[in-house]
Amino acid sequence: MAIIDKPLALPAGEPRRAARPLGVFTRPKEQSGISAWLTTVDHKKIGIMYGSAALFFLLIGGVAALAIRVQLATPNNTFLSGDAYNRMYTMHGTVMVFLVVMPIGAAFANFLMPLQVGARDVAFPRINAFSFWVFFFGGLMLNTSWFLGGGADGGWFNYAPNNGVAFSPSHGIDFWNAGLLIAGIGSLTGSINLITTVLNMRAPGMTLMKMPVFTWMTLVTQFLLLFAIPVITVAQLLLTFDRRFGANFFNVQQGADPLLWQHLFWVFGHPEVYLMILPAFGIVSEIIPTFARKPIFGYPFMVFSGIAIGFMGWGVWAHHMFVSGLGPLSVTAFSVATMFIAVPTGVKILNWMATLWGGKLILNTPMLFSIGLITQFTVGGLSGVSHAIAPSDTQQTDTYYIVAHFHYVLFGGAFFGFVGGVYHWFPKAFGYKLNDTFGKVQFWMMVVGFNLTFGPMHILGLQGMPRRMQTYDDAMGFNFWNLVATIGAFILGVGVMLLLANVAYSYSKWKSAGRPNPGPDPWDARTIEWSIPSPAPSHNFDTDPVVTSLDDFWHRKYQEDENGVVRRVHTGEEIAQPGNGEGVHLPAPSYWPIVLAFGIPIIGYGIIFNLWLCIPGALVVIGALFGWALEPADDLDAPGHDHGHDGPGHDGSGDHAEPELETV
Amino acid sequence: MTDDAHGTRQWAWRAEDDPARVRKAMPTPRPSRQTISLKRAGAAALGLLLLAGCAEDKPLNTFEPRGDRADGIYNLMTPIWYIMGLIFVAVIGGTIVLAIKNRVNGDELDPEDLPHQTHGNTRLEVGWTILPGVLLAAISIPVVANIWRLEEKNEPGQLDVMVIGQQWTWSYRYDVDGDGFFADANADGKVDEADEKFPLDTALDPDDVVTQNEIVMPVGQQVDLTITSRDVIHSFWIPRLNGKRDAVPGKFSTWSLQANEPGKYTGWCTEFCGLSHARMRMDAMVLTEADFNTWLENQQRPAEAPDEATDPDAFAGRQLFINQCVSCHVIREEPGPDAIPYAPDFQANLKAGYAPDLTHFATRSVFAGGIYSQYEGRGTDANDDALNAADYVKLSELSKDPQGRDDYRWNTAELKRWIANAPAQKDMAPDDLRGMLPFPALTDQQLDQLSAYLATLD
Repeated sequence: MAIIDKPLALPAGEPRRAARPLGVFTRPKEQSGISAWLTTVDHKKIGIMYGSAALFFLLIGGVAALAIRVQLATPNNTFLSGDAYNRMYTMHGTVMVFLVVMPIGAAFANFLMPLQVGARDVAFPRINAFSFWVFFFGGLMLNTSWFLGGGADGGWFNYAPNNGVAFSPSHGIDFWNAGLLIAGIGSLTGSINLITTVLNMRAPGMTLMKMPVFTWMTLVTQFLLLFAIPVITVAQLLLTFDRRFGANFFNVQQGADPLLWQHLFWVFGHPEVYLMILPAFGIVSEIIPTFARKPIFGYPFMVFSGIAIGFMGWGVWAHHMFVSGLGPLSVTAFSVATMFIAVPTGVKILNWMATLWGGKLILNTPMLFSIGLITQFTVGGLSGVSHAIAPSDTQQTDTYYIVAHFHYVLFGGAFFGFVGGVYHWFPKAFGYKLNDTFGKVQFWMMVVGFNLTFGPMHILGLQGMPRRMQTYDDAMGFNFWNLVATIGAFILGVGVMLLLANVAYSYSKWKSAGRPNPGPDPWDARTIEWSIPSPAPSHNFDTDPVVTSLDDFWHRKYQEDENGVVRRVHTGEEIAQPGNGEGVHLPAPSYWPIVLAFGIPIIGYGIIFNLWLCIPGALVVIGALFGWALEPADDLDAPGHDHGHDGPGHDGSGDHAEPELETV
Repeated sequence: MTDDAHGTRQWAWRAEDDPARVRKAMPTPRPSRQTISLKRAGAAALGLLLLAGCAEDKPLNTFEPRGDRADGIYNLMTPIWYIMGLIFVAVIGGTIVLAIKNRVNGDELDPEDLPHQTHGNTRLEVGWTILPGVLLAAISIPVVANIWRLEEKNEPGQLDVMVIGQQWTWSYRYDVDGDGFFADANADGKVDEADEKFPLDTALDPDDVVTQNEIVMPVGQQVDLTITSRDVIHSFWIPRLNGKRDAVPGKFSTWSLQANEPGKYTGWCTEFCGLSHARMRMDAMVLTEADFNTWLENQQRPAEAPDEATDPDAFAGRQLFINQCVSCHVIREEPGPDAIPYAPDFQANLKAGYAPDLTHFATRSVFAGGIYSQYEGRGTDANDDALNAADYVKLSELSKDPQGRDDYRWNTAELKRWIANAPAQKDMAPDDLRGMLPFPALTDQQLDQLSAYLATLD
């Protein structure tokens, strides 16, 4: 199965130290501290950095959200001017989609997926580090627009021709273009990396249909990214040329059709919606069986419905354009196609319910958040059907009904799933559990806040309140529910922040209790990432796990006795790997990913402010590429247990490729 | 509902005038007396909460259709809302019941005591894949029929209106002579190809009329719309009459409106269009057929210049207007730039012929993109429906009637504030040639004169 099935192992006994060519730096050696994080290529650390960066951007997007809600709390409010409001809601949407929900998905994919497939790292560890840093610098660059003339003001969808220089003369949309183009590079390289990892680096015996559902959803998500990101890249490049170099791709004056932008944006934008929700679907598909103590109901249906969503997601983009005058034939086709995408999504919901059926449910925090996802996503799914129906959509599109819909999907669905995932895998990442009571308080606060904020928006939208409105009049009758939504938003904001409070609280409790280890398998879980110590050691697995079934770890703990009754034959602790990295060989850290990623935004600033600035940016990029290319594949001077000769079990048998193979 | 400054709130459509409201007001059979349980008290509290949010008047409510297209959408959706409600209760209720029923205490869990290890049930899963598919296929039949119905156009020769969005107001061109063109025809009766392509920038066909912010239409009749834009994308939406349709620059989309009863139906631009998107409103003013014909004839009448002797203020105002305002605004048959240059400009509206056409300005009930009442004297909140549709064609006359309604007075104060400094009233970008310039040099007297002149444009 594997493309790379034999590592380029050096012959035994041959000296592995090569003369270092001129100009080639040693690889960094730090094992801890800030520089270890800056140069790491460890997928777990990169996953944690993705998550932390997403939390940082969540604060920015959250403050923008609260500013919007304060402005809309009362009619004819003057808290934000029209201009400030437009920038605020644009940046809220952009930051939340591109810099919060997508990277949280990437955080889980990076941290979890290699552990779930039994790999030492991802296929291209340095590219993985680069993916993170280029995303992070792109996101930072986008947010520097707050201080350099104001954020983008065209909406996250940024429709032409309102996104042209004539209508948006400030640099906000240039930052939007450049920042997202740069962050998109990270998504693209990341998707190639993760797809390669899933397809080539699974543990021996783990066929595709024995992969955990989360890994499957990651694979689908990364394929969606791989094909969707180039489309938005094209659109943003065209727009950059329009805005910075006087091109006319979207200039109606010169005969351009503004609907071109809408098609490009939504051909990207609709798969984008699914690639935001599918990782959360994967997460709850892991959590629910664990705490229902029975396998996921209908694993093949869960997998194929995910794949079906991935495919169908490409055929429904024009439902964002039902009122743009496409003509009834197109509207009919896209309306019907969109209605039918509810089928695979409905299958997932019903299969989760069937997993709950007859289970013994441990209603701890991850489970509560998973149930929150099922119920709240259902609301979003149903409202989705109501505007898949094109005539109904002509009344609903661009109203608060849509705002309610996609927040139920992306916040009540994806984000709830993500928070549940954080609670679930926190001990695997950091070696201690988050406090469960605290977590339940957080869950209920988020449920109340979320539904108070976005529930009333259904009513507001159906009563005719359009979106993207800086203000509204007293006589329109929108006052009451807007005030309720604003109160809800603050409850929700506190609820989300409780996650950080819980981390701090649980950490201090854990520290004062003498840092007890939660053990490799604190939840009596099912998949192989729980068969290694907590926190996961840097080398992940001492030896390649050999997988014989779906939920392999569970089936090694629980087996049928002669009467056909399932009995526990081992505890997780008994069969878990001890975490001994003796003889394991890992890719060495590298300076070059962060240096290369740093050079790209300099070019971005150059395109916005002064083309001469592109030259130093390009020099940094070229220098970093040379440094990267000439860097020795690994550095034998580096200290630590990570280096040495390959031990037994790492001779490349099976289809588990060694990460040292990294060549790019 | 708040009263106006004079405490005289008058409704155009009193309950007895409006069959829909009469229906609501009819007494319902009294339910038999039951003991009030806690549950009922809770339901009552919830009901009160909902009422608090719903009792007010909602001029944009999509659940109060008043025209055949909106009725069609409403009737299509009614059974679907019920199906969705059932699924909502089944899935969410089911999930919550399962979670409560099957919960165990994790701390006292016996790891040996496992639930039945079901892996799935293919028949069941195929069933719940196919069943929703069949349900959706059934629903899609009326949906598709409705999609095509929404596109149905009138027979040729009926009233055709071109709807033009621009930052941040709507204008309407009526093809009164029914030649199928909104633009000026040449002597041979043909329209230049260029005019046909960009009918936005050419002189108006002399028989046709143009108005602003309010689309005026006769009751009962279907009015076909050709929707386009001069700059960015806008969206035309009168929720109680029909769904919305985008106004895309360079494209001409068709749509239609029909209203069952006379009245004022509020709408709002629903595609984000920049700074003052929130202050780009429109109304459909639906009149009886007789009133509509009166209105149309009046609109075709040329403007009369005020007389210096009888109305010196308005006369002076006209001079001011001709000296300054005509560089952007048009009043047909009044002096202005010799020719509006034929140069379609999709980026600026602060130029000759692009600003709102002010011909018969005083016949309209709102100005400034529909955010201020021209006659109601209340300043903002132009979107309530206190205006009586039957009064619409004689607003100017009624405003001068000393016995008339206080809220029908000419809104001089707001109009003067607007002319003096429009960007302070509404976010706009005059520096980028979009919106209206401030005129700090105009004295209060000059503003009064301009207001007096505009009041004569009836």
